[in-house]
Amino acid sequence: MIKLIDVTKRFDDLILLKDFDISFEKNKITCLFGPSGVGKTTIANIVAGIVPPDKGFVEGVDNSLFSYVFQEPRLLKWYNVYENIDFVLKDVYEQEKRVEIINNYLEMVELGRYKNYKIDALSGGMAQRVSLARAFAYPSHILIMDEPFKGLDFKLRNEMISLFKRMWEASQRTVVFITHDVEEAIDLSHVIYTLKDRPVEIIDRLIVNNKEEIKNKLLSL
Amino acid sequence: MMNSILRNKNKLFIILFWILVWEILSLIIGQEIYLPSPHAAFSSLINLLTSKETYITICYSTYRTLAGFFLSCLSGILLGIICGIQKPLYDLFNPLIIIMRTIPVMSIIIIAIMWFRDTNVPIFVAFLMCFPIIWTNTVSGIRSTDVKLLEMCEVYKIRRMRVIRSVYFYSSLPYIKAGMVSALGIGWKVTSAAEVLSLPKYSIGRFLYDSKVYLEIPDLFAWTVIIVSLSFLFEGLLKTIFRSGDKYD
Repeated sequence: MIKLIDVTKRFDDLILLKDFDISFEKNKITCLFGPSGVGKTTIANIVAGIVPPDKGFVEGVDNSLFSYVFQEPRLLKWYNVYENIDFVLKDVYEQEKRVEIINNYLEMVELGRYKNYKIDALSGGMAQRVSLARAFAYPSHILIMDEPFKGLDFKLRNEMISLFKRMWEASQRTVVFITHDVEEAIDLSHVIYTLKDRPVEIIDRLIVNNKEEIKNKLLSL
Repeated sequence: MMNSILRNKNKLFIILFWILVWEILSLIIGQEIYLPSPHAAFSSLINLLTSKETYITICYSTYRTLAGFFLSCLSGILLGIICGIQKPLYDLFNPLIIIMRTIPVMSIIIIAIMWFRDTNVPIFVAFLMCFPIIWTNTVSGIRSTDVKLLEMCEVYKIRRMRVIRSVYFYSSLPYIKAGMVSALGIGWKVTSAAEVLSLPKYSIGRFLYDSKVYLEIPDLFAWTVIIVSLSFLFEGLLKTIFRSGDKYD
């Protein structure tokens, strides 16, 4: 279990988190659900160690490796598709192993034949698939997904969601999934935290078993 | 194809127009010592181009310009990257760079004449004039690096040296290239100026100086045409190298 315990975080005068507690089950997909600007990304960044809390601590992440699928792909445009994934794996695996892993994940996201393409030559959806392949190719224990399907059209989003499901099934990592989309939240998550601001408070912790019931609950928020 | 022919035709007309203006001005002034006619200047140029000494001189001056330029690139890029990333180092070096940019070229040349052998003076001066341009551009480039990419590197625990090589360096590359192009142009100008004062044996500057002393003004113009042509040639070469680099990156 990963836990944020008694965490306070302020940005200048704005207190975003105050004595905040939350936990994420290992090898499950936990969703942070709430409106934009509520502080979901900050919670994820504190888990990932990108943002240090002013007070409190994070438990259960010692020696953990993180990978991240950001809202935008965050790829290096001067490298090609293959090199972008290779870039994050270089310090982790030997060359031979890297070739195998990268090819494997590029096939999974159906970009095998685009591996020598420059990032500028890809569509937005393709670039986001590279970002997804990079996150899964990296041997992370915890994967953070910050609204990764935002801005994609309906068809592309469904494709990405089913890709994500397939990849997660294959490696079952702990996932912190941020969204404000009801369908995405229900479709992907095992546990959903509904949040309100300010400072952030957990309204509810929902275990996704009866999807219809949960959907009605989320829509009524 | 047709477009490029038309463009070149236009360029030719523009060049011819200005040569005509030059011709008219020299006719009005009517004294070769103040403004030689294009015809006199080009005759001198052709004369110079038939002499072996001219080519040796061009080689030496080119060597000095390029030596100063490459030294400034090497140190300017390295120090620029370090200062761009480390704010305290930037604060430390910035006043020095500002002073370097404002010191008159002539002061630098005269100081350099006291310090170095004649042939090294232009190299040192070219280095000192080009370095601040490269350094400033590199620092701006480093600072333009997308913070989101740096965050990504932090999440994936990429080693510092690789972040510098693969993220910072490539982000600042367009700025570095622009800096190099303008530094090279300035390099030619200040090398010639330094040569005029330090008078190394084989140097365009020495010939400029001699043409002034012996009042061979058409020669002065011919050597100037040579400097300008060399400057254009190397600028074009540098831009071509950059373009082919872009293609194969």
